[in-house]
Amino acid sequence: MKQHEVTDAANDQQHDKGGPPHITLNVQTPRGLWSLKEPPDAKLRPRYPISTKVAQVIADARSVFGFVEEDSKYTLLCGKEVLEPQRTLASYHLQDGVLLVLSVQGGNA
Amino acid sequence: MSIAPGVTIEVVQRELAVAADFAAAAGLLVDVGQVSSQKPSFTVTFQNGKGDCFHVEFDCQDYPLYPPTIEFVSGDRSERGTARLYPSGLHPMPCVCMRYNRKAYQERGGPHGDWRLVDWRLPTAQGVAIDTLAMMFSDLESKIRQSTGRMA
Repeated sequence: MKQHEVTDAANDQQHDKGGPPHITLNVQTPRGLWSLKEPPDAKLRPRYPISTKVAQVIADARSVFGFVEEDSKYTLLCGKEVLEPQRTLASYHLQDGVLLVLSVQGGNA
Repeated sequence: MSIAPGVTIEVVQRELAVAADFAAAAGLLVDVGQVSSQKPSFTVTFQNGKGDCFHVEFDCQDYPLYPPTIEFVSGDRSERGTARLYPSGLHPMPCVCMRYNRKAYQERGGPHGDWRLVDWRLPTAQGVAIDTLAMMFSDLESKIRQSTGRMA
């Protein structure tokens, strides 16, 4: 079990005891959809305490789809709005089940 | 060297099925009305942050052996390749200066004599390899979204 899975499990328990509420995301990437069911073999699922920073979601989506290259630009979008990495999910008042987009830009020639 | 049109159209349609999900989520409009084995081309409409529309034609002749030829066109397709159809920030040729664009290669009139067409799937610098139509959509969406206007 990876660190994030341990953390998420802990957060679920914390939520049951009055911790921060959670939100389920759907993240469309150019390599496929990340959701509670897709891809079937994903080690992480996009369910987070609302206090989670956007940067963590980007990092997890990259991990699930093997976007390991650092010399690329990764941006999480909600519609046309760019979600700032250092802000929390709560600060955007996202709806449970919202569809986000992970935009990936290659290196420059 | 070329590739059978039947192979190209099969690969293009398979990749478009995946790319369509990304396009729909990102608010891109994909017009596949022109796609056929004889003319494997389609257009995608992108928007920058100001809401300006940019129409991009992907001509996939001999794909995936070679990358598509990517060109900016007018909304009615009557004009193509002029600077005013391009967003600011791209190569002033004008050109999408990436390995996934056949127009970027010197043998096709582009700036890059140091690239080989058959290596088009290689990453540029240390970036992600842009090796599918969905990845091309994503790379262009990011660059066009950040542009502040037109090249001319």
